[in-house]
Amino acid sequence: MTALKSSPLALRLTAFLVLLGLIATVFQSFAPAYLSENNLHALLRHMSVNGLTAIGLTFVIVVRHFDLSFPGIASLGAMTLGWMLANDFTLMQSVVGGIAIGLVAGLINGSVISYLRLPDIVTTIATGGVAVGLSYFYSNGTSISENFFMSGILDLNDSRFLSLDMPVVILLAAAIVAFIVLHCTRFGRAFYATGENRRSAAFSGIRVKAYVLTAFGLCGALACLAITLLVASSGAANVTAGNQLMMPAFAAVYLGAALFGAPSIPATLGGTLLMSAMLNGFTLLAIPYYYSDAIVSTVLIAAIGIFDPKLTTLLGGLFSRQPAR
Amino acid sequence: MAAILDMKGIEKQFGVVKALDNADFSLEAGEIHALLGINGAGKSTLIKILSGVYTKDAGEIAIAGESVQIGTPAAAIACGIASVQQHPELVDDFTGIENIFLGQESPQPGLGRRVDRRALKLQAEQLLKRFPIEIDLEARVGEMPAVDREIVAILHALSREHIRILILDEPTSTLTEREKTSLFHLMRQLKAAGIAIIYITHRLEEVFEISDRFTVFRAGRRVTTLTCHEARTSNISIPELMLDEKPGDIFPPKAKSAAGEALLDVRGLSRPGLFSDVSFTLRRGEILGIFGLVGSGADELSKALFGVIRPDAGTITVKGKQVALKDPHDALRQGIFLVPGDRRTEGLTLSRDVIFNMTLAHLGKASFLGGLLRFGSNRKASAGLAQRVALHPMTLDRPVSAFSGGNQQKIVIAKGLYRDADIYIFVEPTVGVDIGARATLYALMRELSAHAGVLIISSDCDEVHGVADRMTALYKGRPVFVPDQRPSRDQLLSAGIMGARA
Repeated sequence: MTALKSSPLALRLTAFLVLLGLIATVFQSFAPAYLSENNLHALLRHMSVNGLTAIGLTFVIVVRHFDLSFPGIASLGAMTLGWMLANDFTLMQSVVGGIAIGLVAGLINGSVISYLRLPDIVTTIATGGVAVGLSYFYSNGTSISENFFMSGILDLNDSRFLSLDMPVVILLAAAIVAFIVLHCTRFGRAFYATGENRRSAAFSGIRVKAYVLTAFGLCGALACLAITLLVASSGAANVTAGNQLMMPAFAAVYLGAALFGAPSIPATLGGTLLMSAMLNGFTLLAIPYYYSDAIVSTVLIAAIGIFDPKLTTLLGGLFSRQPAR
Repeated sequence: MAAILDMKGIEKQFGVVKALDNADFSLEAGEIHALLGINGAGKSTLIKILSGVYTKDAGEIAIAGESVQIGTPAAAIACGIASVQQHPELVDDFTGIENIFLGQESPQPGLGRRVDRRALKLQAEQLLKRFPIEIDLEARVGEMPAVDREIVAILHALSREHIRILILDEPTSTLTEREKTSLFHLMRQLKAAGIAIIYITHRLEEVFEISDRFTVFRAGRRVTTLTCHEARTSNISIPELMLDEKPGDIFPPKAKSAAGEALLDVRGLSRPGLFSDVSFTLRRGEILGIFGLVGSGADELSKALFGVIRPDAGTITVKGKQVALKDPHDALRQGIFLVPGDRRTEGLTLSRDVIFNMTLAHLGKASFLGGLLRFGSNRKASAGLAQRVALHPMTLDRPVSAFSGGNQQKIVIAKGLYRDADIYIFVEPTVGVDIGARATLYALMRELSAHAGVLIISSDCDEVHGVADRMTALYKGRPVFVPDQRPSRDQLLSAGIMGARA
């Protein structure tokens, strides 16, 4: 116990594992298929989509902004991808095209918010709305699946690399790159400095606006990479593809930050794993999405509450007030 | 005369810092009592305890001989104590009358009660009858001059009739001479009405103009209380009472050798409303001082030299090359480093450790070509810098918020050292820094000036006079001509306070 107390990281890791174990035990007892190999594959594939979105969102949260547009941008990316595939672009071109649209949309968000200083929440609600509108242009809102078999996009979901599912490989690769950038480079320092004290960061010579811009760009691009995997698994691109990305991403970032003390890539991955473990369990139990969404939202509220330093000090005070023996 | 307020044995500790150490203070009914002391002497802590913002750790407070407990601002008001902050919080869109009675528009509680404007106006007139002063209370506060805002804030504080003690925290810091006269007029009216006023100021000449008595605080204790008459006849030096040691003792020796090449040359720098026609040259090997009170434009000037504020006219020449500073990034590349006046919001990332902060101003140096951080060498460099600035405690892994003010300032200085800057601009370098750490900081500035140019901008006249080799004053945004730039302390003081030529 003393070892745990002296190392807050060990304590947080234990809390995370206990929580994960608890979720697994509860679902396993209701649905015996929960821990089967097949379902774990499904869980990890599901986690890949949410994890990529959440990694992008992590950058935005680290610079202390909000992005509510990425679901809309992801839909636009999905439709761009589908339209390009249907019009005989190569798989490579189409995937790059979809991600590029996300990057551009994110950069538009970022430049409007950091250089024109418009409020982030309202701005991203609006740009997200615009992106959804644009996504209807390709096919008047009907889903696109032409050429999908031929193009090989389905392999993004089905193929394996070193006995791991491809989506998981892509998530891990993205997570490793993001981890190095955010935690081992000068750029990561600058992202954190910008978020934690923008004024002192600027006074230290950091181009804070450029970092805010970059964070939004990454968020848009990664949301579109995530939606590419979702399109690959469902075999069709449709205009509502991005709708289910919002809650899990925010919940993952905040739950991770609450568990591990601050937003970071490992924290986000941990948060995503918890969220996917829950969402997958609800699917297995055939709980309708509107209930599971409500539960996920409750978890999000709780996570924000715990993330709030006022509440943590209050809780910390409760624990430390116990008489020491 | 009977004391209306008696504070005895007041103690207050913040972390390791003892802000008040067995302090006492007494106030007589109907007097104007100036409270003096350098920054960190404990006077604002005392005031905040009295007005219920802080709770005391120990000690007794008695009002009119009766012991009271003041735990909250509401309790202070109930005891008859009202205070006006340095920058009063008023609702700009409301009129003077509405601001005065904010929060007490209606005697009965409950929603849906209409505000009776006529009654409020009548009450305001009664208030003005008690304290006759010329002011248009029907005007919107946002459009009022600074002194009227101050008066509205004071009337707001006095709108409850039982108030007997009024605390004014540096009310004149942003006022012009003429505005000051009208504020002093109101203060005399209040005094005549039997209200005792505690008055905090940094301008010593005002003390003799308006107050009956003054109390000097130093290092958390009351040093002395004198009537102005006693002070005048006994020929004592108030600054000497305010400083822990005789002025000069905490200051390092002046530069021995002549200053070297010109590092920073500023000509006719202007930004209307903030500062105008500022010119000076800073050379390697010297400390140049600029004395300017709050509102003199000194802080804004420092920001213009660091690329935060763009000047409208004038030139900045760094090492012989004229430069346009677009942002701090530019300024840092030119070798300029600002140790900002507000180190907590402008100088440090408080939640992060010492290494993060010390290396933040030069991330290029802290990383390899691809951007990967040099974790090992950053730690080594930070350890070296921590030694050089004598950081205490000498730990690199705790968040900088856990360090005392003086040591936080040392960490900011280390940022500049890591950057290898040639020009160091210090703004209010010792605000919230205790006397011991001050001497260390001044010595550090002197050491820096051996290889660089140091510009110190401060509202503390003794600090500027004690540290700088050459100095000038800024008054209402304009530099005051000081011959040979080596004025006596009093010449510098009057230049900065009244714009008087020495």
